[in-house]
Amino acid sequence: MIEVKHLIKVFEGRGQVVRAVDDVSTQVAKGEVVVIIGPSGSGKSTFLRCLNGLEEFDDGQVVIDGIDLTESKTNLNAVRREVGMVFQHFNLFPHKTVLENVTLAQRVVRKRKPAEANDKAIKLLTKVGIAEKANEYPSRLSGGQQQRVAIARALAMDPKVMLFDEPTSALDPEMVGEVLDVMKQLAREGMTMAVVTHEMGFAREVANRVLFMDFGRILEDAPPAKFFTAPKEPRAQTFLKQVL
Amino acid sequence: MARKRHTIQWPWRGLLVVILLGIAIGLWVATKRVNYEWRWERVPQYFFYQHEEAQTAPVAGAVVRISPNGGYSLVEIAPKGGGQSDTVRVETDTLEIKAGDTVSEGDDIGAERQWKIGPLIWGLWVTIWISFVSGFIGLIIGLITGLCRISKNPTLRGLAVFYIELIRGTPLLVQIFIFYFFIGTVLNLDRTVAGVGALALFVGAYTAEIIRAGIQSIPKGQTEAARSLGMSATETMIHIVLPQAFKRVLPPLAGQFISLIKDSSLVSVIAITDLTKSGREIITSSFATFEIWFTVALLYLVITSVLSQLLFWLERRFARSD
Repeated sequence: MIEVKHLIKVFEGRGQVVRAVDDVSTQVAKGEVVVIIGPSGSGKSTFLRCLNGLEEFDDGQVVIDGIDLTESKTNLNAVRREVGMVFQHFNLFPHKTVLENVTLAQRVVRKRKPAEANDKAIKLLTKVGIAEKANEYPSRLSGGQQQRVAIARALAMDPKVMLFDEPTSALDPEMVGEVLDVMKQLAREGMTMAVVTHEMGFAREVANRVLFMDFGRILEDAPPAKFFTAPKEPRAQTFLKQVL
Repeated sequence: MARKRHTIQWPWRGLLVVILLGIAIGLWVATKRVNYEWRWERVPQYFFYQHEEAQTAPVAGAVVRISPNGGYSLVEIAPKGGGQSDTVRVETDTLEIKAGDTVSEGDDIGAERQWKIGPLIWGLWVTIWISFVSGFIGLIIGLITGLCRISKNPTLRGLAVFYIELIRGTPLLVQIFIFYFFIGTVLNLDRTVAGVGALALFVGAYTAEIIRAGIQSIPKGQTEAARSLGMSATETMIHIVLPQAFKRVLPPLAGQFISLIKDSSLVSVIAITDLTKSGREIITSSFATFEIWFTVALLYLVITSVLSQLLFWLERRFARSD
């Protein structure tokens, strides 16, 4: 479903050159849940953002569901429809109600009729357990509720892949669970997911594979059982010691 | 001492009243010293006045009958050579004939009075519509220029910067003269078009900067979220960025439009009869210099405060989602 070959992303600024993603190659199969972990500044978020073209990369190749992002005739907007993304800071549209947040892209991008989009939105909001807040504005919702709306908003486009960029990092501890529950349910339903997170419990429970990143490189790629019990890389060992 | 303290308010309020009263008394004394005679009673006629139009006999003949009816009378005149009699309507207190009089064609019978709109109201109206039209055009110019200003295309960006710097770096009065005498002559423009054009270009440059700042104040995450859903750059701008930016720039935009109303007084220099020019014209005939200028100032104050109330209301409506 996702294929990445020799991906390189370089940030330049104030005379400094940072290789945020440095020659990363990997793939995610259909229905697979891949969790990407690593210290902050290791390039995991940048890597994730390259997958739907939010970040323009310098070299390499990203293929989503057979479509090459680097090819000049590829319509990035068309690819992004198929790739849902959930952000650390939710990024709900504050001037739209919860319902409008979920229906807007359906109507504008998928050209669905308002009634159809509404039905879909209510169904998804019910699924993430927040249908009763449909007519509220996002500012009235708690962080956990906002993030669940954001997940519903991404799902409304019927994506083939979901990208999660630290979805629980900005949440109060007591709200982390409700968001993780929704993500676990999605994983059980067979959604292809790439998740950047610091939730080791989630990685252990849900992931098919764990990618450990540091200095823009994937240092370890292993099933969670193996990664958490016997990590090979010394960097991964120190990291796990610090977070567990 | 971080605890909230309740300071006594009324002495300060009292002081405020005393100061305002002091200013009023000072003004009064000042006008007394220059021996100015206030003639406020001359002002209302420049808002509305009664126009008297003399009514004359349509034919030569005899006044058959005068039938009073409320404030006016119907005068019936039978033509000398016979035939259908004519009726003329005049105000009763202006009647200059009696029943039985003979009149020749064109003789004064009386007058009819009509309420007419005075020059101050006309000027007010001209100021309002010129401000509104140039404000509207300026908003569109500002929106386009603001978008060009943040465009990735160097040509569009350069043009926007050039336009903004050109307008912001020169006085509006000079711009109006250039627009009227140069561009107006070259393109053969009417003075009103030239005035509205100059004001619109002027307000457009300032609006562009306001809108640019508004767009750039919207967090990047909003654009990213919209783009990640597959929306194009244009769709993102229309549905996500601009509505939020517009809400944020409403207060500075309101200030800009209030400025525009006041700045529109400058078009009086190219002989557009706006509120200011009306005031100047009235003064030449009434000699009520102080009264008219105070009235003109008050009328500007009325328009600007109505506008600011309107925008305040709009702002509160937009604040629903906060």
